[in-house]
Amino acid sequence: MDAATLTYDTLRFGEFEDFPETSDPVWILGKQSNALTEKDEILSDITSRLWFTYRKNFQAIGGTGPTSDTGWGCMLRCGQMILAEALLRRHLGREWRWVRGQQPREEYIRILNSFIDKKDSYYSIHQIAQMGVGEGKSIGQWYGPNTVAQVLKKLAVFDRWSRLAVHVAMDNTVIIEEIKRLCMPWLDFEHSADPLEMNGYMEGACAMAFDDAAVWKPLVLLIPLRLGLSDINEAYIETLKQCFMMPQSLGVIGGKPNSAHYFIGFVGEELIYLDPHTTQPAVEPCESSEIQDDSYHCQHPPCRMHICELDPSIAVGFFCQTEDDFDDWCTHIRKLSSCRGGLPMFELVDSQPSHLISTEAINLTPDFSDSDRLERFFDSEDEEFEILSL
Amino acid sequence: MAPFEKAQHPKPFKQRKSFATRKQEVAGIRSKFPTKVPVIIERYHREKYLPPLDKTKFLVPQELTMTQFVTIIRNRMTLMPSQAFYLLINNAGIASMSLTMAQVYKDHKDEDGFLYMTYASQEMFGHCKCVDQFLT
Repeated sequence: MDAATLTYDTLRFGEFEDFPETSDPVWILGKQSNALTEKDEILSDITSRLWFTYRKNFQAIGGTGPTSDTGWGCMLRCGQMILAEALLRRHLGREWRWVRGQQPREEYIRILNSFIDKKDSYYSIHQIAQMGVGEGKSIGQWYGPNTVAQVLKKLAVFDRWSRLAVHVAMDNTVIIEEIKRLCMPWLDFEHSADPLEMNGYMEGACAMAFDDAAVWKPLVLLIPLRLGLSDINEAYIETLKQCFMMPQSLGVIGGKPNSAHYFIGFVGEELIYLDPHTTQPAVEPCESSEIQDDSYHCQHPPCRMHICELDPSIAVGFFCQTEDDFDDWCTHIRKLSSCRGGLPMFELVDSQPSHLISTEAINLTPDFSDSDRLERFFDSEDEEFEILSL
Repeated sequence: MAPFEKAQHPKPFKQRKSFATRKQEVAGIRSKFPTKVPVIIERYHREKYLPPLDKTKFLVPQELTMTQFVTIIRNRMTLMPSQAFYLLINNAGIASMSLTMAQVYKDHKDEDGFLYMTYASQEMFGHCKCVDQFLT
Protein backbone atom coordinates (compact mmCIF):
# COMPACT_ATOMS: atom_id res chain seq x y z
CA MET A 1 0.00 0.00 0.00
CA ASP A 2 2.77 2.42 0.93
CA ALA A 3 4.84 1.60 -2.11
CA ALA A 4 1.89 2.25 -4.36
CA THR A 5 1.15 5.55 -2.66
CA LEU A 6 4.73 6.72 -2.94
CA THR A 7 4.93 5.91 -6.62
CA TYR A 8 1.69 7.73 -7.22
CA ASP A 9 2.80 10.74 -5.22
CA THR A 10 6.20 10.88 -6.92
CA LEU A 11 4.54 10.78 -10.29
CA ARG A 12 2.26 13.60 -9.29
CA PHE A 13 5.08 15.70 -7.96
CA GLY A 14 6.81 15.71 -11.32
CA GLU A 15 3.67 17.07 -12.92
CA PHE A 16 3.41 20.53 -11.48
CA GLU A 17 3.09 23.09 -14.14
CA ASP A 18 4.43 26.51 -13.58
CA PHE A 19 1.91 29.19 -12.74
CA PRO A 20 0.35 30.43 -16.02
CA GLU A 21 1.63 33.59 -17.70
CA THR A 22 -1.71 35.27 -18.28
CA SER A 23 -3.23 38.68 -18.11
CA ASP A 24 -6.40 37.21 -16.58
CA PRO A 25 -6.77 38.39 -13.01
CA VAL A 26 -5.74 35.86 -10.37
CA TRP A 27 -8.03 35.69 -7.36
CA ILE A 28 -6.72 34.06 -4.19
CA LEU A 29 -8.90 34.14 -1.06
CA GLY A 30 -10.46 37.51 -1.80
CA LYS A 31 -7.32 39.15 -3.17
CA GLN A 32 -6.74 40.06 -6.80
CA SER A 33 -3.31 39.93 -8.44
CA ASN A 34 -1.72 40.00 -11.83
CA ALA A 35 0.17 36.86 -12.85
CA LEU A 36 2.48 38.80 -15.18
CA THR A 37 3.72 41.37 -12.70
CA GLU A 38 3.04 39.86 -9.27
CA LYS A 39 3.87 36.20 -9.70
CA ASP A 40 6.29 36.01 -6.76
CA GLU A 41 3.75 37.65 -4.50
CA ILE A 42 1.06 35.18 -5.64
CA LEU A 43 3.29 32.18 -4.99
CA SER A 44 4.36 33.52 -1.61
CA ASP A 45 0.71 34.07 -0.69
CA ILE A 46 -0.18 30.49 -1.65
CA THR A 47 2.84 29.02 0.11
CA SER A 48 1.82 30.90 3.26
CA ARG A 49 -1.42 28.90 3.56
CA LEU A 50 -1.26 25.91 5.86
CA TRP A 51 -1.13 22.78 3.72
CA PHE A 52 -2.36 19.58 5.32
CA THR A 53 -1.73 16.29 3.58
CA TYR A 54 -2.06 12.63 4.29
CA ARG A 55 0.41 11.59 7.00
CA LYS A 56 1.70 8.25 8.15
CA ASN A 57 3.14 6.94 11.40
CA PHE A 58 1.14 9.14 13.72
CA GLN A 59 -0.25 7.93 17.07
CA ALA A 60 -2.96 5.35 16.42
CA ILE A 61 -6.36 7.05 16.36
CA GLY A 62 -8.31 6.00 19.45
CA GLY A 63 -5.28 3.99 20.62
CA THR A 64 -5.80 1.05 18.28
CA GLY A 65 -7.05 2.64 15.05
CA PRO A 66 -5.24 3.72 11.89
CA THR A 67 -1.78 5.33 12.07
CA SER A 68 -2.13 6.86 8.60
CA ASP A 69 -4.98 8.59 6.80
CA THR A 70 -3.79 7.79 3.28
CA GLY A 71 -6.81 6.98 1.13
CA TRP A 72 -9.51 8.22 3.47
CA GLY A 73 -8.42 11.45 5.15
CA CYS A 74 -8.47 13.86 2.19
CA MET A 75 -11.71 15.64 3.09
CA LEU A 76 -10.68 15.75 6.76
CA ARG A 77 -7.42 17.42 5.66
CA CYS A 78 -9.34 19.90 3.52
CA GLY A 79 -11.48 20.72 6.54
CA GLN A 80 -8.27 21.35 8.51
CA MET A 81 -7.01 23.65 5.75
CA ILE A 82 -10.12 25.81 5.57
CA LEU A 83 -10.26 26.12 9.37
CA ALA A 84 -6.51 26.86 9.55
CA GLU A 85 -7.11 29.65 7.05
CA ALA A 86 -9.79 31.04 9.36
CA LEU A 87 -7.37 30.90 12.30
CA LEU A 88 -4.58 32.62 10.32
CA ARG A 89 -7.07 35.32 9.36
CA ARG A 90 -8.26 35.59 12.96
CA HIS A 91 -4.87 35.83 14.66
CA LEU A 92 -2.46 37.07 11.97
CA GLY A 93 -4.57 38.70 9.25
CA ARG A 94 -4.81 38.23 5.50
CA GLU A 95 -1.50 40.00 4.77
CA TRP A 96 0.60 37.74 6.96
CA ARG A 97 3.22 35.71 5.06
CA TRP A 98 5.22 32.64 5.94
CA VAL A 99 8.92 32.94 5.22
CA ARG A 100 10.90 29.74 5.17
CA GLY A 101 13.44 29.49 7.96
CA GLN A 102 12.34 32.75 9.56
CA GLN A 103 11.50 32.84 13.27
CA PRO A 104 7.73 32.40 13.29
CA ARG A 105 5.32 34.41 15.39
CA GLU A 106 3.94 32.85 18.54
CA GLU A 107 0.37 32.91 17.21
CA TYR A 108 1.49 30.95 14.17
CA ILE A 109 3.08 28.23 16.29
CA ARG A 110 -0.06 28.02 18.34
CA ILE A 111 -2.24 27.67 15.25
CA LEU A 112 0.02 25.01 13.72
CA ASN A 113 0.11 23.08 16.99
CA SER A 114 -3.67 22.84 17.04
CA PHE A 115 -3.51 20.72 13.87
CA ILE A 116 -0.56 18.46 14.70
CA ASP A 117 -1.42 14.74 14.34
CA LYS A 118 -1.85 13.82 17.97
CA LYS A 119 -4.92 13.03 19.98
CA ASP A 120 -5.17 16.21 22.03
CA SER A 121 -4.61 18.93 19.41
CA TYR A 122 -7.88 20.85 18.95
CA TYR A 123 -8.29 20.04 15.26
CA SER A 124 -6.06 16.99 14.74
CA ILE A 125 -6.99 14.19 12.38
CA HIS A 126 -7.61 12.21 15.59
CA GLN A 127 -10.15 14.70 16.91
CA ILE A 128 -11.89 15.07 13.55
CA ALA A 129 -12.11 11.31 12.92
CA GLN A 130 -13.41 10.64 16.43
CA MET A 131 -15.91 13.51 16.45
CA GLY A 132 -17.20 12.19 13.13
CA VAL A 133 -18.59 9.15 14.91
CA GLY A 134 -21.38 11.43 16.15
CA GLU A 135 -22.14 12.28 12.52
CA GLY A 136 -22.49 8.61 11.66
CA LYS A 137 -18.97 8.17 10.31
CA SER A 138 -16.80 5.45 11.76
CA ILE A 139 -13.05 6.09 11.94
CA GLY A 140 -11.52 5.72 8.49
CA GLN A 141 -14.74 6.33 6.60
CA TRP A 142 -14.88 8.98 3.88
CA TYR A 143 -16.29 12.41 4.66
CA GLY A 144 -18.23 14.87 2.57
CA PRO A 145 -17.88 18.66 2.87
CA ASN A 146 -20.90 18.85 5.18
CA THR A 147 -19.57 16.06 7.42
CA VAL A 148 -16.30 17.83 8.08
CA ALA A 149 -18.06 21.18 8.50
CA GLN A 150 -20.34 19.71 11.18
CA VAL A 151 -17.36 18.20 12.98
CA LEU A 152 -15.34 21.43 12.90
CA LYS A 153 -18.31 23.28 14.38
CA LYS A 154 -18.28 20.90 17.35
CA LEU A 155 -14.51 21.00 17.81
CA ALA A 156 -14.22 24.79 17.67
CA VAL A 157 -16.19 25.08 20.92
CA PHE A 158 -13.17 23.75 22.85
CA ASP A 159 -10.72 26.24 21.36
CA ARG A 160 -11.15 29.04 23.87
CA TRP A 161 -8.12 30.90 22.59
CA SER A 162 -9.74 31.56 19.21
CA ARG A 163 -13.38 31.67 20.47
CA LEU A 164 -14.67 31.20 16.95
CA ALA A 165 -18.35 30.94 16.19
CA VAL A 166 -18.57 28.25 13.52
CA HIS A 167 -21.90 28.24 11.74
CA VAL A 168 -22.92 25.63 9.18
CA ALA A 169 -25.79 26.98 7.08
CA MET A 170 -28.07 24.12 6.03
CA ASP A 171 -30.63 23.94 3.21
CA ASN A 172 -28.82 26.58 1.12
CA THR A 173 -30.09 29.24 3.46
CA VAL A 174 -28.10 31.72 5.52
CA ILE A 175 -30.28 33.25 8.24
CA ILE A 176 -28.82 36.56 9.42
CA GLU A 177 -30.64 36.56 12.77
CA GLU A 178 -29.31 33.09 13.58
CA ILE A 179 -25.74 34.21 12.93
CA LYS A 180 -26.08 37.40 14.97
CA ARG A 181 -27.41 35.40 17.93
CA LEU A 182 -24.50 33.00 17.60
CA CYS A 183 -21.83 35.70 17.41
CA MET A 184 -23.43 37.97 20.03
CA PRO A 185 -25.11 35.55 22.43
CA TRP A 186 -25.41 38.21 25.15
CA LEU A 187 -28.05 40.04 23.07
CA ASP A 188 -30.51 37.25 23.69
CA PHE A 189 -31.02 37.65 27.40
CA GLU A 190 -32.33 41.20 27.00
CA HIS A 191 -35.26 39.87 25.02
CA SER A 192 -35.85 36.75 27.03
CA ALA A 193 -39.08 36.73 29.01
CA ASP A 194 -38.57 33.38 30.68
CA PRO A 195 -36.81 33.98 34.03
CA LEU A 196 -35.27 30.52 34.02
CA GLU A 197 -33.87 31.01 30.59
CA MET A 198 -32.77 34.47 31.62
CA ASN A 199 -30.68 33.04 34.46
CA GLY A 200 -28.84 30.89 31.98
CA TYR A 201 -28.10 33.85 29.77
CA MET A 202 -27.08 36.00 32.72
CA GLU A 203 -24.52 33.45 33.73
CA GLY A 204 -23.26 33.34 30.19
CA ALA A 205 -23.12 37.10 30.00
CA CYS A 206 -21.19 37.38 33.27
CA ALA A 207 -18.72 34.75 32.18
CA MET A 208 -18.25 36.67 28.99
CA ALA A 209 -17.72 39.95 30.77
CA PHE A 210 -14.80 38.40 32.67
CA ASP A 211 -13.53 36.76 29.54
CA ASP A 212 -13.21 39.32 26.82
CA ALA A 213 -16.30 41.46 27.16
CA ALA A 214 -19.23 41.45 24.83
CA VAL A 215 -17.51 41.59 21.48
CA TRP A 216 -18.54 39.81 18.31
CA LYS A 217 -17.23 36.26 18.21
CA PRO A 218 -15.26 35.89 14.96
CA LEU A 219 -17.49 34.01 12.53
CA VAL A 220 -16.56 31.05 10.38
CA LEU A 221 -19.47 30.54 8.02
CA LEU A 222 -19.55 27.25 6.15
CA ILE A 223 -22.25 26.63 3.55
CA PRO A 224 -22.48 23.04 2.29
CA LEU A 225 -24.05 22.92 -1.17
CA ARG A 226 -24.87 20.64 -4.02
CA LEU A 227 -24.55 22.45 -7.33
CA GLY A 228 -25.88 19.66 -9.51
CA LEU A 229 -26.30 15.88 -9.48
CA SER A 230 -23.40 14.26 -11.32
CA ASP A 231 -21.87 17.44 -12.75
CA ILE A 232 -21.83 21.03 -11.66
CA ASN A 233 -24.65 23.04 -13.24
CA GLU A 234 -22.80 25.64 -15.31
CA ALA A 235 -25.27 28.31 -14.26
CA TYR A 236 -23.49 28.33 -10.86
CA ILE A 237 -19.97 28.88 -12.15
CA GLU A 238 -19.99 32.68 -12.15
CA THR A 239 -21.51 32.76 -8.67
CA LEU A 240 -18.90 30.33 -7.44
CA LYS A 241 -16.11 32.51 -8.80
CA GLN A 242 -17.63 35.49 -6.99
CA CYS A 243 -17.11 33.66 -3.70
CA PHE A 244 -13.33 33.78 -4.15
CA MET A 245 -13.52 37.50 -4.87
CA MET A 246 -15.00 38.54 -1.55
CA PRO A 247 -12.57 39.76 1.09
CA GLN A 248 -14.22 37.37 3.57
CA SER A 249 -13.48 34.33 1.38
CA LEU A 250 -12.04 31.24 3.05
CA GLY A 251 -12.19 29.32 -0.21
CA VAL A 252 -14.11 26.16 -0.91
CA ILE A 253 -13.74 22.54 0.16
CA GLY A 254 -14.82 20.00 -2.39
CA GLY A 255 -13.00 18.12 -5.08
CA LYS A 256 -13.03 16.03 -8.17
CA PRO A 257 -15.03 12.80 -7.86
CA ASN A 258 -13.39 10.88 -4.99
CA SER A 259 -10.48 13.30 -4.42
CA ALA A 260 -11.00 16.18 -2.03
CA HIS A 261 -9.22 19.48 -2.63
CA TYR A 262 -9.04 22.82 -0.88
CA PHE A 263 -9.84 25.47 -3.49
CA ILE A 264 -8.30 28.83 -2.70
CA GLY A 265 -8.97 30.80 -5.87
CA PHE A 266 -9.17 30.86 -9.63
CA VAL A 267 -7.56 32.23 -12.75
CA GLY A 268 -9.59 32.30 -15.97
CA GLU A 269 -11.61 29.08 -16.04
CA GLU A 270 -9.26 27.22 -13.73
CA LEU A 271 -9.58 26.69 -10.01
CA ILE A 272 -6.41 26.90 -7.91
CA TYR A 273 -6.20 24.40 -5.10
CA LEU A 274 -4.10 22.76 -2.42
CA ASP A 275 -4.08 19.00 -2.74
CA PRO A 276 -3.86 16.75 0.33
CA HIS A 277 -2.99 13.65 -1.72
CA THR A 278 0.65 13.33 -0.77
CA THR A 279 1.64 11.10 2.12
CA GLN A 280 4.22 12.69 4.39
CA PRO A 281 5.64 11.29 7.62
CA ALA A 282 3.97 12.66 10.75
CA VAL A 283 5.86 15.49 12.44
CA GLU A 284 6.64 15.23 16.13
CA PRO A 285 4.81 17.91 18.08
CA CYS A 286 7.10 20.63 19.36
CA GLU A 287 6.27 23.42 21.79
CA SER A 288 9.40 25.45 21.10
CA SER A 289 9.73 27.86 18.24
CA GLU A 290 11.97 25.43 16.38
CA ILE A 291 8.95 23.74 14.90
CA GLN A 292 9.57 21.66 11.78
CA ASP A 293 7.00 23.33 9.58
CA ASP A 294 8.41 23.04 6.04
CA SER A 295 6.09 20.18 5.20
CA TYR A 296 3.03 22.27 6.20
CA HIS A 297 3.48 24.70 3.33
CA CYS A 298 3.04 23.83 -0.32
CA GLN A 299 6.27 24.99 -1.93
CA HIS A 300 5.63 23.85 -5.48
CA PRO A 301 3.37 25.77 -7.86
CA PRO A 302 -0.26 25.16 -6.85
CA CYS A 303 -2.43 22.64 -8.70
CA ARG A 304 -5.11 23.84 -11.10
CA MET A 305 -8.12 22.24 -12.73
CA HIS A 306 -10.93 23.34 -15.01
CA ILE A 307 -13.88 24.62 -13.03
CA CYS A 308 -16.25 22.24 -14.87
CA GLU A 309 -14.40 19.25 -13.39
CA LEU A 310 -15.56 20.28 -9.91
CA ASP A 311 -17.73 17.71 -8.16
CA PRO A 312 -21.05 19.41 -7.31
CA SER A 313 -20.79 18.64 -3.57
CA ILE A 314 -18.91 21.49 -1.93
CA ALA A 315 -18.85 23.73 1.11
CA VAL A 316 -18.12 27.42 0.68
CA GLY A 317 -16.40 29.21 3.56
CA PHE A 318 -16.27 32.80 4.78
CA PHE A 319 -14.65 34.53 7.74
CA CYS A 320 -16.05 37.64 9.42
CA GLN A 321 -13.79 39.03 12.11
CA THR A 322 -16.28 41.74 13.14
CA GLU A 323 -19.96 42.48 12.85
CA ASP A 324 -19.09 45.10 10.21
CA ASP A 325 -17.34 42.39 8.19
CA PHE A 326 -20.48 40.30 8.34
CA ASP A 327 -22.76 43.21 7.38
CA ASP A 328 -20.43 43.94 4.48
CA TRP A 329 -20.60 40.30 3.40
CA CYS A 330 -24.41 40.44 3.47
CA THR A 331 -24.35 43.54 1.28
CA HIS A 332 -22.07 41.75 -1.23
CA ILE A 333 -24.36 38.73 -1.36
CA ARG A 334 -27.50 40.86 -1.80
CA LYS A 335 -25.84 42.79 -4.63
CA LEU A 336 -24.86 39.51 -6.28
CA SER A 337 -28.31 37.99 -6.17
CA SER A 338 -29.96 41.12 -7.51
CA CYS A 339 -27.81 41.24 -10.66
CA ARG A 340 -28.37 38.78 -13.45
CA GLY A 341 -25.87 36.29 -14.83
CA GLY A 342 -25.27 33.32 -12.59
CA LEU A 343 -27.69 31.47 -10.37
CA PRO A 344 -27.48 32.17 -6.62
CA MET A 345 -25.95 29.18 -4.82
CA PHE A 346 -27.65 30.01 -1.55
CA GLU A 347 -30.17 32.42 -0.16
CA LEU A 348 -29.70 35.10 2.46
CA VAL A 349 -32.73 35.82 4.66
CA ASP A 350 -33.22 38.14 7.64
CA SER A 351 -34.90 35.73 10.01
CA GLN A 352 -36.12 32.20 10.38
CA PRO A 353 -39.47 31.92 8.68
CA SER A 354 -42.03 31.83 11.52
CA HIS A 355 -43.61 28.56 10.40
CA LEU A 356 -40.35 26.75 11.06
CA ILE A 357 -40.47 27.56 14.73
CA SER A 358 -43.33 25.09 14.96
CA THR A 359 -42.73 22.54 12.26
CA GLU A 360 -45.28 20.30 13.93
CA ALA A 361 -47.91 22.78 12.82
CA ILE A 362 -47.46 21.57 9.28
CA ASN A 363 -49.92 18.79 8.75
CA LEU A 364 -47.80 15.87 7.72
CA THR A 365 -50.51 13.26 7.50
CA PRO A 366 -52.34 12.63 4.28
CA ASP A 367 -55.69 14.29 4.04
CA PHE A 368 -58.08 11.36 4.15
CA SER A 369 -61.16 13.08 2.82
CA ASP A 370 -59.09 14.06 -0.21
CA SER A 371 -57.65 10.55 -0.44
CA ASP A 372 -61.09 8.99 -0.66
CA ARG A 373 -62.09 11.25 -3.47
CA LEU A 374 -58.76 10.56 -5.13
CA GLU A 375 -59.03 6.81 -4.94
CA ARG A 376 -62.41 6.86 -6.60
CA PHE A 377 -60.98 9.13 -9.20
CA PHE A 378 -57.91 7.02 -9.88
CA ASP A 379 -58.95 3.56 -8.84
CA SER A 380 -57.22 1.99 -11.83
CA GLU A 381 -53.86 3.59 -11.03
CA ASP A 382 -51.04 1.60 -9.48
CA GLU A 383 -49.39 4.65 -7.96
CA GLU A 384 -51.36 7.03 -5.80
CA PHE A 385 -50.73 10.65 -5.06
CA GLU A 386 -49.82 11.58 -1.55
CA ILE A 387 -51.84 14.66 -0.76
CA LEU A 388 -50.30 17.25 1.50
CA SER A 389 -52.52 19.78 3.22
CA LEU A 390 -51.85 22.78 5.38
CA MET B 1 -21.23 -0.03 4.11
CA ALA B 2 -23.74 2.74 3.79
CA PRO B 3 -27.33 1.82 4.55
CA PHE B 4 -29.76 1.71 1.64
CA GLU B 5 -26.95 1.00 -0.82
CA LYS B 6 -28.61 -2.22 -1.84
CA ALA B 7 -32.05 -0.68 -2.26
CA GLN B 8 -33.66 -1.28 -5.61
CA HIS B 9 -34.09 1.67 -7.91
CA PRO B 10 -37.26 1.41 -9.93
CA LYS B 11 -37.22 3.00 -13.33
CA PRO B 12 -37.70 6.75 -13.22
CA PHE B 13 -41.34 7.83 -13.29
CA LYS B 14 -40.96 9.35 -16.75
CA GLN B 15 -39.85 5.99 -18.14
CA ARG B 16 -42.62 4.05 -16.44
CA LYS B 17 -45.42 5.99 -18.12
CA SER B 18 -45.93 7.43 -21.54
CA PHE B 19 -46.11 11.17 -22.10
CA ALA B 20 -49.81 10.90 -22.98
CA THR B 21 -50.62 9.02 -19.78
CA ARG B 22 -48.72 11.50 -17.65
CA LYS B 23 -50.34 14.47 -19.33
CA GLN B 24 -53.79 12.98 -18.86
CA GLU B 25 -53.04 12.24 -15.24
CA VAL B 26 -52.08 15.86 -14.58
CA ALA B 27 -55.12 17.18 -16.38
CA GLY B 28 -57.38 14.96 -14.28
CA ILE B 29 -55.79 15.78 -10.95
CA ARG B 30 -55.53 19.51 -11.67
CA SER B 31 -59.23 19.73 -12.42
CA LYS B 32 -59.99 17.94 -9.16
CA PHE B 33 -57.44 19.87 -7.05
CA PRO B 34 -56.79 23.18 -8.78
CA THR B 35 -54.93 24.66 -5.80
CA LYS B 36 -52.46 21.82 -5.46
CA VAL B 37 -49.36 21.23 -7.53
CA PRO B 38 -48.47 17.74 -8.84
CA VAL B 39 -44.86 16.95 -7.94
CA ILE B 40 -42.70 13.91 -8.69
CA ILE B 41 -39.93 13.34 -6.14
CA GLU B 42 -37.31 10.74 -6.86
CA ARG B 43 -34.08 9.73 -5.21
CA TYR B 44 -30.87 10.39 -7.16
CA HIS B 45 -29.94 6.97 -8.53
CA ARG B 46 -26.44 7.20 -7.04
CA GLU B 47 -27.64 8.33 -3.62
CA LYS B 48 -26.23 6.13 -0.87
CA TYR B 49 -27.17 7.83 2.38
CA LEU B 50 -30.72 9.16 2.20
CA PRO B 51 -33.52 6.59 2.47
CA PRO B 52 -35.98 6.01 -0.35
CA LEU B 53 -39.40 7.63 -0.01
CA ASP B 54 -42.44 5.37 -0.08
CA LYS B 55 -44.25 7.72 -2.46
CA THR B 56 -43.19 9.33 -5.70
CA LYS B 57 -46.23 11.45 -6.55
CA PHE B 58 -47.24 14.33 -4.31
CA LEU B 59 -49.99 16.88 -4.47
CA VAL B 60 -48.66 19.92 -2.70
CA PRO B 61 -50.58 23.04 -1.64
CA GLN B 62 -49.46 25.80 -3.99
CA GLU B 63 -48.95 28.33 -1.19
CA LEU B 64 -46.38 26.10 0.55
CA THR B 65 -42.85 27.52 0.40
CA MET B 66 -39.86 25.46 -0.66
CA THR B 67 -38.57 25.70 2.92
CA GLN B 68 -41.79 24.19 4.24
CA PHE B 69 -41.78 21.53 1.58
CA VAL B 70 -38.16 20.56 2.30
CA THR B 71 -39.03 20.44 6.01
CA ILE B 72 -41.87 18.01 5.30
CA ILE B 73 -39.63 15.71 3.27
CA ARG B 74 -36.81 15.96 5.82
CA ASN B 75 -39.23 15.02 8.60
CA ARG B 76 -40.63 12.19 6.54
CA MET B 77 -37.12 10.73 6.28
CA THR B 78 -36.40 11.53 9.96
CA LEU B 79 -33.17 13.28 9.04
CA MET B 80 -31.07 15.09 11.63
CA PRO B 81 -30.89 18.86 11.06
CA SER B 82 -27.15 18.47 10.43
CA GLN B 83 -27.63 15.97 7.60
CA ALA B 84 -27.18 17.27 4.08
CA PHE B 85 -30.34 17.18 1.97
CA TYR B 86 -30.78 18.86 -1.41
CA LEU B 87 -33.85 18.92 -3.59
CA LEU B 88 -32.83 19.62 -7.17
CA ILE B 89 -35.40 20.74 -9.68
CA ASN B 90 -35.18 19.08 -13.11
CA ASN B 91 -31.86 17.51 -12.02
CA ALA B 92 -30.24 20.91 -12.36
CA GLY B 93 -30.44 23.40 -9.56
CA ILE B 94 -31.92 24.28 -6.24
CA ALA B 95 -34.92 26.59 -6.14
CA SER B 96 -34.82 29.59 -3.90
CA MET B 97 -36.17 28.36 -0.58
CA SER B 98 -38.49 31.32 -0.09
CA LEU B 99 -40.40 30.70 -3.33
CA THR B 100 -43.83 29.13 -3.12
CA MET B 101 -44.63 25.89 -4.87
CA ALA B 102 -46.86 27.83 -7.26
CA GLN B 103 -43.90 29.99 -8.35
CA VAL B 104 -41.57 27.03 -8.72
CA TYR B 105 -44.26 25.15 -10.63
CA LYS B 106 -44.82 28.03 -13.00
CA ASP B 107 -41.10 28.35 -13.82
CA HIS B 108 -40.06 24.71 -13.91
CA LYS B 109 -42.98 22.44 -14.69
CA ASP B 110 -42.40 19.79 -17.32
CA GLU B 111 -44.27 19.63 -20.62
CA ASP B 112 -46.37 16.84 -19.13
CA GLY B 113 -47.51 19.16 -16.32
CA PHE B 114 -45.61 17.53 -13.45
CA LEU B 115 -42.90 19.30 -11.48
CA TYR B 116 -39.86 16.99 -11.25
CA MET B 117 -37.52 17.00 -8.27
CA THR B 118 -34.60 14.77 -7.35
CA TYR B 119 -33.14 14.55 -3.86
CA ALA B 120 -29.57 13.82 -2.91
CA SER B 121 -27.18 14.37 -0.02
CA GLN B 122 -23.49 15.05 -0.68
CA GLU B 123 -20.79 12.89 -2.21
CA MET B 124 -18.06 11.54 0.06
CA PHE B 125 -14.42 11.88 -0.87
CA GLY B 126 -11.61 9.37 -0.64
CA HIS B 127 -9.69 7.48 -3.24
CA CYS B 128 -8.33 4.24 -2.03
CA LYS B 129 -9.90 0.85 -1.55
CA CYS B 130 -7.76 0.35 1.55
CA VAL B 131 -10.44 2.21 3.50
CA ASP B 132 -12.38 -1.03 3.91
CA GLN B 133 -9.87 -2.44 6.32
CA PHE B 134 -10.93 0.08 8.95
CA LEU B 135 -14.61 -0.39 8.45
CA THR B 136 -15.00 -3.99 9.47
